[in-house]
Amino acid sequence: MTTSPQATDDARSWRGGRVRWARLFRQFGTLIGFIVIVAFFSWQKPDTFMNVRNWVNITQQVSILGVVAATMTIVMVLNDFDLSVGTMASMVGIVAGTLLRDGYMLGVALGLGLLVGAGGGLLNGVLVSYIRISPFVATLGTLTMFNGLALYISGGTTIFGRAIPTALSDFGRGGIYLGIVDGQRITLPYLTIITLVVLIVVWIVLEQTVFGRRLYAIGGNMEAARLGGVRVRMLRLMAFVISGMGAAIAGLMLVSRLASANPTQGDGLMLRAIAAVFLGMTMSEEGEPHVLATMLGVLILGVLANGLTQMQIDTYIQQILTGGIIVLAVTLSSLSRR
Amino acid sequence: MKRTMYLTLVIALVLAGFAASAVSAQDGDAPSVVVMTPWLAQPGTQLMVDAFTEYAAEKGWDVQVIDTAEDISALISRMEDVALQDVDAIVINVDPTQISAGLAAVAEAGIPVFGMDSGTDPLLVANVTSNGYAMAAETATYVVDRLNGEGSVVMFIFEPYPPVQKRGIIAEAIFNNTPDITIVDKITPSFDAGPLEGARNAMEAVLLANPDPGSIDAVWAAWDEPALGALQAIQAAGREEEGIVIVGIDATPQARDAISMGGSFEATVAQDFPGIARQVADLVEAYLGGEEIVQSTYYVPTKLITAANALDE
Repeated sequence: MTTSPQATDDARSWRGGRVRWARLFRQFGTLIGFIVIVAFFSWQKPDTFMNVRNWVNITQQVSILGVVAATMTIVMVLNDFDLSVGTMASMVGIVAGTLLRDGYMLGVALGLGLLVGAGGGLLNGVLVSYIRISPFVATLGTLTMFNGLALYISGGTTIFGRAIPTALSDFGRGGIYLGIVDGQRITLPYLTIITLVVLIVVWIVLEQTVFGRRLYAIGGNMEAARLGGVRVRMLRLMAFVISGMGAAIAGLMLVSRLASANPTQGDGLMLRAIAAVFLGMTMSEEGEPHVLATMLGVLILGVLANGLTQMQIDTYIQQILTGGIIVLAVTLSSLSRR
Repeated sequence: MKRTMYLTLVIALVLAGFAASAVSAQDGDAPSVVVMTPWLAQPGTQLMVDAFTEYAAEKGWDVQVIDTAEDISALISRMEDVALQDVDAIVINVDPTQISAGLAAVAEAGIPVFGMDSGTDPLLVANVTSNGYAMAAETATYVVDRLNGEGSVVMFIFEPYPPVQKRGIIAEAIFNNTPDITIVDKITPSFDAGPLEGARNAMEAVLLANPDPGSIDAVWAAWDEPALGALQAIQAAGREEEGIVIVGIDATPQARDAISMGGSFEATVAQDFPGIARQVADLVEAYLGGEEIVQSTYYVPTKLITAANALDE
């Protein structure tokens, strides 16, 4: 018995279609999950959730996390981690705050803050790339160092009040006026704009340049990349410097938003940034981090916090729910890839 | 396909469950009050929040507690979220200078904010707290009275932190105003290994420098940890029998425990956390009832803790 060629083709294309759909859903499952979450909150809180004002709010609330997560993505493309970003952000805030308190100009304080971030990133990069300590251990060590430095420089206290110039605190609260929507004044927050700029830069670097392609090559197979002539050590070093600078930008944004510098105020950023990158990775077929997907992860975290607060759900339950959704998304993604 | 369906289904079910419980918890007419803090893990904050929740339940309010686990930036975000809600009042336990962006968002929404052991700020209706000056005066006069106005005192102070700095100022003024009291040393304990260890090391040095029995009569500490450190140093030096009087401030559980033993550590001062919570609840009630609140800070009396009441709660 022979099957007609026609029937075989049909079967193949039918199966091909199914595979294509499955792949499509695998890739966009997290996005669909996000849409479901948004639809749910819109249904529950029709007046206050789904409006321009609240969404502008959310973008400002996730802006600082967004910067850290975007630059963390670069490190994680290499299969590395940077655990020091949170305490780095705190330390840079303290450095800038101390300089401002001592009367240095705003530009000097911010510039030196960024330099400290780059320097800290360089230290991480040297430890990981040249001395070849595992990124987990190396950045765990620098995490502790940066925390100690922040406490030491500040004497354990918070820098606030007149020490922080109003130009800086107004920046953290202000934005570009867009217009009146539903009787509410809408401004695009400056912090959101910074995050958008960082996002675009990281996207171009990762997706549109030779540098980015080489990073993905290293992440795919470090040995092959090295044999292929990629300067692996230099590129890993640079990834950590960029991550350090991202943490520094976030630390300065925090000082601006809080109008104060506290030696531990950025510490919580690290775990959430890594969670956002992991959430984003569920959208990639190869399980690679991509910065736009990372931003979706950041938005999921931000929307959950915003929506659950609006629904007046207890904060402890919020944490259980948020953690559960992260685990669920990553589990489903890894199951479907088997 | 399956995965997406599962994901969608699970998220929808979980959220729907919470929606149902959240909706059922909301009562149409009852005033809703949100308590917001990054410090719920701190024992003092916990006592206040628990007490406030209890009083609010007695008054028939809906209370939501939001804790951001030491993350002050997240607290601002949550304040912006709450500003969009139909809530009647917000109670905060956090330094208002650090959350001015959040206070501005809430003020714009016209929601009144009350401080519960917070700080003074023009955007707060009022703050209820303990009087730090009075707490220091209470322990300093305890020392003066115990020494019958005569003796040498070691002080443990900490100037970088304003709420503790003001305690030192008052105690020093009281000692200086007592002619026969001498301040032997004013020590800022090193924080490298924690204030307890730092105070212990410093006190050991002071004891070595003043070896004669009776050369030190009292230790006044601006908070409990250096008092405990001084106690350990005196015990380690075998000079417990000299009757050196130690006092602290804050009434931490460890300090209460030491005081209850009846040794050198004789007294500390407790903030009345449930009292602060009750005062806040009463203020919120008065405000919602249309009363005008003029006073910006309310002080709730503190309580001297000695061996007689150290283990009472």
